[in-house]
Amino acid sequence: MRISFLFVLLGWLHGSACVEAAVTPTLPASDTTITIRAVMGLQYDVVRFAVKPNTRVRIVLQNADDMAHNLVLTKPGKRPEVVNAALALDSKGPALNYIPKTASVLGAIQVLSPGAQGELIWTAPATEGVFPYVCTYPGHGFVMFGALYVTAKPLPPLKGDPNVPEQALQNQEAAQTAHHVDYTDRRPSPHPYPVELPVIYRTFMPESGPAAIVVVLPNEQSYCWDAGVCRLRYAWQGYVDNSEQWHGNGKRLSKVAGDVYYRTGSEFPIRLGDPGKAPKEVLYKGYQVVDRYPHFRYTVDGTEVTEIIRAAGSGNGLVREFRMGPVSDDVFFTLEPHEEIEYTASAGRIEGNLLRLTPRQARQFTITIKSQKTAKL
Amino acid sequence: MIRSGVLFLAILWFSAVAIAQSAADSICNYYQIENIPVPKGLLPEVGGMDFMPDGRLVACFHRGEIMIYNPVTRQWKLFAEGLHDPLGLVAVSNSEVLVMQRPEFTRVKDTDENGIADLYEVVTDRFGLSGNYHEFNFGPVADQKGDYFISLNLASGLGGTFAEVRGRPDSLGRPGRMYSYVPYRGWIMKVDKQGNLTPWAMGFRSPNGLGFDTRGNLFVSDNQGDWLGTSKLYHVQKDKFYGHPSSLVWKEGFPDIDPLTLPVAELDKMRTEAAVLFPQGIMANSPTQPLSDTTNGKFGPFAGQMLIGEMNQHRIVRLMLETVDGQIQGACVPFFDKCGLRMGNNRMVFGPGGSLWIGQNNHEAWTGDEGLQRITWTGKVPMEVQEMHITKKGFDLTFTHPVDKKLAVRPEAYPFKRYYYEYHQAYGSRQFDLQPVPVKKVKVSRDRKRVSVELAEMKPGYVYELNVTGVQSREGKPVLNTLICYTVNKLRKS
Repeated sequence: MRISFLFVLLGWLHGSACVEAAVTPTLPASDTTITIRAVMGLQYDVVRFAVKPNTRVRIVLQNADDMAHNLVLTKPGKRPEVVNAALALDSKGPALNYIPKTASVLGAIQVLSPGAQGELIWTAPATEGVFPYVCTYPGHGFVMFGALYVTAKPLPPLKGDPNVPEQALQNQEAAQTAHHVDYTDRRPSPHPYPVELPVIYRTFMPESGPAAIVVVLPNEQSYCWDAGVCRLRYAWQGYVDNSEQWHGNGKRLSKVAGDVYYRTGSEFPIRLGDPGKAPKEVLYKGYQVVDRYPHFRYTVDGTEVTEIIRAAGSGNGLVREFRMGPVSDDVFFTLEPHEEIEYTASAGRIEGNLLRLTPRQARQFTITIKSQKTAKL
Repeated sequence: MIRSGVLFLAILWFSAVAIAQSAADSICNYYQIENIPVPKGLLPEVGGMDFMPDGRLVACFHRGEIMIYNPVTRQWKLFAEGLHDPLGLVAVSNSEVLVMQRPEFTRVKDTDENGIADLYEVVTDRFGLSGNYHEFNFGPVADQKGDYFISLNLASGLGGTFAEVRGRPDSLGRPGRMYSYVPYRGWIMKVDKQGNLTPWAMGFRSPNGLGFDTRGNLFVSDNQGDWLGTSKLYHVQKDKFYGHPSSLVWKEGFPDIDPLTLPVAELDKMRTEAAVLFPQGIMANSPTQPLSDTTNGKFGPFAGQMLIGEMNQHRIVRLMLETVDGQIQGACVPFFDKCGLRMGNNRMVFGPGGSLWIGQNNHEAWTGDEGLQRITWTGKVPMEVQEMHITKKGFDLTFTHPVDKKLAVRPEAYPFKRYYYEYHQAYGSRQFDLQPVPVKKVKVSRDRKRVSVELAEMKPGYVYELNVTGVQSREGKPVLNTLICYTVNKLRKS
């Protein structure tokens, strides 16, 4: 456990060292290549790097995620403006690769499908500055970015750097600690291997149908997803305790070890075409595990849906990503009112308790559920 | 490796001592048993086992792991995790297994060839789940056409049901000690390659052990309890009813009544009798999975017969079946007793080379043991009853070695008795109408391997129990496993 933690940490440091080594005098200043990977969890694996003024930089983007991403390089301080401009493209977005035509955009790599690679070449100015790069794919821009430093000086400490995503840093820290140390250091593993997070358990849970799936996420938030009805049931801060379920041969339920901060209602949330009409048939198909995250698959009246649930940063919250097969009508998603919950969506319009998505928007969207209650420490 | 070597030596030493101290023969002299080490931290309650085409063993365990054991390197590797009490699996390829877990019949596959499964795809989940702890699911087993069979345990009155259940519940199936509140509990289902589910046969209580004979007949064991006077092995045929009434609520065209309200005589007429009864406390208390010896003799003299595990004793039972008047019936006899064998013998599979792998399970707190063992034949043939056939007036016994004729012709060498178990709602049954059955005549064949025993009376519906302690081989070896129970449903007419 500890060894893998160190390894990850070293690997990460090693990665940044490589990046900074690119500006050492042994390499020609006019030809620097930096490779950035788009990785799972809406992030670039390189969140900052530096080049000397006047360097001709080649940025290679490899999409190692299972969703689409682009990369847009902006003028200093213009990241939020560019992200909002990309969102304003609305239905014109896809054709433009969600790259707005504004003077704030210095260069861009178009939308890459999973596994694809693209690049851009940009020459750094003679003066120093911090140039943001960001994924402007809808819903990604607020968390998925990094910074290109044009400077000959050492970089400021990574922690506290306002130009890198705080969430990504936190996630990275959480992943490094929770993923590799916390779970089993605090509790002995019930298996012949250390438990790595996320971890998936099919078990009997309270407040669910009998075909429940529990996932404990890297920051030790957990959720219960009911495969019997293909929907999220509730989420909590904490883990799942299966000991009594196992020991009693299923007679006693697994336990929610923590505080539930979110519960869904009793209805299936997705409506095709008519918000008043529940789907006739919702069928569970299974899940594919990608980087230990389950990608739940089900059909709603024949339309395929994939759902991936990740932690929304470090507090109590989830990002539910949905990918849907082609639909001809608008799609509605019920956002049940909840005192302490705030919903945001990467696409569509929120009308009352409904998120309304055009058929195009419905192909891929995220719904972020954030608890306003501070997590119990 | 060192540890198991020492253990193996220890077993040899113990058996050597046993022989020196007593003239009694033992199965240890003919078969070797070995404990398979399991990884530290694993609760080795084996729910299912199979061999992959490349010779690796794949097994699933109580806490949801599927692990692969390489018998050559003796190393374990994790394949899949997070399943809900998986109780059976079949290896499809070196990277894919089909597993029966509580919520569904699942395809578990390593699609990116990194050795770890990443796809958990539903084959079918179109059967009911009430949340009752006793709704265990068993199988799959594949028939010769590639269709699968799974079996669905009844719920237990010792536990309740969830407020939300899967499948449309029927309150008419809810009464009783063991019950069928949601669809197809107490049924065996066929699942074709497309995942389509066909209700196949009904009337089961706790059908833990599914298996085929070498001719492709499907069998399932069921456990003593309500409506089961003693544990049984059924020959499973489409649309037939095997005796536990609760599952009848899911039979097409069955009236809207609680099946428990039907007169017992009527239920008795509807049911199909078991091929084999395992007398409780005598032969087996909780028989598990039947497995055909398909090793063509690599596992000894019983090729083509079925073995069946036993939960509550250090025992594996052997079956000697035959078709009489169109119906399969036959006898059970202990095959392997003690000699280092654990209890909880839940799953069995033949490995490369023809050794028998046994996965044990005590379901955490139930009777039994946990772990993994392997039995290998030494090449020596024990003195045993190899076959038992019903004749018009009695039974023919074939032995693995020629018998000592002087001993074998004596009628008193074949103390037969007979009894039956009552079909009723109560839990279990005592033996009814227990009578000794006098031997009228004994004939030994010219090759001295077959003995024909003529009995004073042959009566259908009875277990004929024999304890053949008085027979020895020509070399003076007594029969090793002398207790034999033959279930007479049909008499041989000619």
